Amino acid sequence: MAGSNKTVKTGAAPAGFREAALFTLVTILFGCGIEILTSGGGIDVPGWPFNLIFLLLFGGSIVAVALLFRERPMVSWLGGIPLGLSLIIGIALLSLVGGVLPQEEYPAGSIMTVLRLNGMFSSWPFALVTLIFLINLGLSLVWKTIPFRAANLQFMLFHGGFWLALSCGLLGNSQLERLVVPIYEGKASNVAYDNKTEKVIHLPFAIFLKDFQIDEYVAQFALYDPQHDVVIEPKSKLMPELHKGVKAEWEGIGSVTVLDYLPDALPDAKGMPVPVGDKKGVRFAKVRIDENGKISETWISSGSEALQIKPLFVPMGGYYIVMADGPPKAFRSNVMLIGDGGERKVARLEVNKPVDMQGWMLYQMGYDEKAGRYSTMSLVEAVRDPWLPAVYLGFFMIMAGNVLYFWKGVKKMEEA
Amino acid sequence: MTLVDFPAIAFAAVSCWVAGSLLQIPARSNKALGTLSWVFMIAGTGVLTWFLTSYWIALERPPLRTLGETRLWYATLIPVVGFIVEYRYKIVWLKYYCMGLAAMFLGINYMHPDVFEKALMPALQSPWFVPHVVVYLVAYVMLAASCVAGWHNVILGFRNKRSSKSESMSHYLALLGFVLLTFGLIFGALWAKEAWGHYWTWDPKETWAFISWLAYLGYLHLVARKTDSRKLQWYLGLSFFVLLVCWFGVNYLPSAQNSVHTYSG
Ligand code: HEM
Repeated sequence: MAGSNKTVKTGAAPAGFREAALFTLVTILFGCGIEILTSGGGIDVPGWPFNLIFLLLFGGSIVAVALLFRERPMVSWLGGIPLGLSLIIGIALLSLVGGVLPQEEYPAGSIMTVLRLNGMFSSWPFALVTLIFLINLGLSLVWKTIPFRAANLQFMLFHGGFWLALSCGLLGNSQLERLVVPIYEGKASNVAYDNKTEKVIHLPFAIFLKDFQIDEYVAQFALYDPQHDVVIEPKSKLMPELHKGVKAEWEGIGSVTVLDYLPDALPDAKGMPVPVGDKKGVRFAKVRIDENGKISETWISSGSEALQIKPLFVPMGGYYIVMADGPPKAFRSNVMLIGDGGERKVARLEVNKPVDMQGWMLYQMGYDEKAGRYSTMSLVEAVRDPWLPAVYLGFFMIMAGNVLYFWKGVKKMEEA
Repeated sequence: MTLVDFPAIAFAAVSCWVAGSLLQIPARSNKALGTLSWVFMIAGTGVLTWFLTSYWIALERPPLRTLGETRLWYATLIPVVGFIVEYRYKIVWLKYYCMGLAAMFLGINYMHPDVFEKALMPALQSPWFVPHVVVYLVAYVMLAASCVAGWHNVILGFRNKRSSKSESMSHYLALLGFVLLTFGLIFGALWAKEAWGHYWTWDPKETWAFISWLAYLGYLHLVARKTDSRKLQWYLGLSFFVLLVCWFGVNYLPSAQNSVHTYSG
């Protein structure tokens, strides 16, 4: 980096950039080299406690180098904007590759796996660029922090928050556990599966599923064109909702009126629907079809694969009147959490409303989709992420810096 | 009100904007016509606001789920940026670009009618939904305006008519846009933690949001380096295309086949 020394001293803007860009490029190529040598093995972030030790040593050396060798041109280049910019572009380009190419399994030996283009965010090029990114950011942060000046607060919050979130997010990844726990109505289970390692893990508590519930949006009916496999829009352009009394019109084809609606019914021997209890039957609707004056009345039904009941649909013109269950609106598991020590906790798991149990966050993840609203099985995701508080602290620092930045920006804008 | 009324609404809004813009010509010598012109231009936005409100009521959920629905918001909000900039900073040209852009969005919605769909999948039913999307929306509005201003400045540069006032306008729009982009990104991460169990999974949509954020981060650091403002106008004009990929291009990329965020299409 002999060339960079001179340019930093003279402060000529474009020159520092050339070395920075070259350095970034070499870093990326070096990372690619490691991938080729390990046939795309990627980087394994060290586990506990080595990730913390690494973080402390790494952070400590940045602070030491920043304070001891501040005057060295090479160090000031390492913590300067030209390198920062090149690294931002480098990370953006690597992310671009990772954002365009599918990040999924590929046959071993293909160029995608050898260069780990299918696992960009755990690849050596990405890791190395990020590492230097953290060095660059860290050095500039120390210089802006010591000596302390209130005017630099926004800079510290922004850059410090980013440093913290990025470093702790990446290093904490090795301790992140995301497990799937399948549970069945009336049973308790503490058996969890790790999809990545395919290991079975026993949680320190069991989950007893009392009841699994699904709310659906209102069922709808539609005019289906079997020739073109499309749904014809009614005059109102709304998919008609199934309520007693609803009328839908299709211009030039006819109209359909709902005379009766049974949300839970089963067909009797003659195929006539008989109402049954909640979630035990399928949806039926009696409709009157007016095909430009030709009137008929009949039952249609959504049917159910799970209950092995065939859907009922009726022709109108060259089309069919079909009925569709509404998409799921909400699903939830009413559970009892039973700790190994005997403590009990009643909880309701619902999407967007995780529940905390002994350091594990429990999420409503899914259910038996084939059974749909008849599902008696619920999938719970159990997540543990010990580094989360550090990452969140970083997020909040960035947001605080952001508020200051916004405020300053608006003020300067007023002056302009 | 539903989408049946949309063509009429779009036509009314665009007519208002066109009438208002045309009236600006005689308005230079006639104050009353100037007022009338503003009444028309603001009425265009008023019509759209009214439509959005009643559409929201009809949908029984915020109309923020599909791309078509977000385009409605852009069409409503982008001209507002132009109006505010003129009112506050006496820069008159921005509003024409803004109304043009808004008319284009209405045109796209007219060509590709949305389906009226009340359903909102469970993961989207969250207190984060509105703040996250709205912050992004306003960020995109600002950055769209800064892109337009950037190109305008590039053209002014070619004609040797550079204006430092209008160059600082594109800068501040980008700066405010970046701040909101950062909020959007973090709100998204906090929400993802609640809904999907982890704050960041390098999902294609997340990756592209990150790339667009980096594009504007690069801009700010170029500014900190005191880069020639003429080059920065090009940069602002071009970075918006990265945002466009993030915004609707993502759904067409090979990587998006297994994105959890494809609902937005
Ligand atoms: C989180 C969003 C960020 C914002 C808003 C931001 C903003 C800024 C600003 C305004 C400056 C100029 C400060 C001044 O000259 O007084 C600056 C400098 C700098 N930034 Fe950032 N930055 C961000 C993230 C980053 C990142 C991720 C890096 C990592 C490469 C970085 C590296 C640098 C460096 C090395 C400097 C030069 C510091 C110096 O001159 O002492 N920044 N940043």
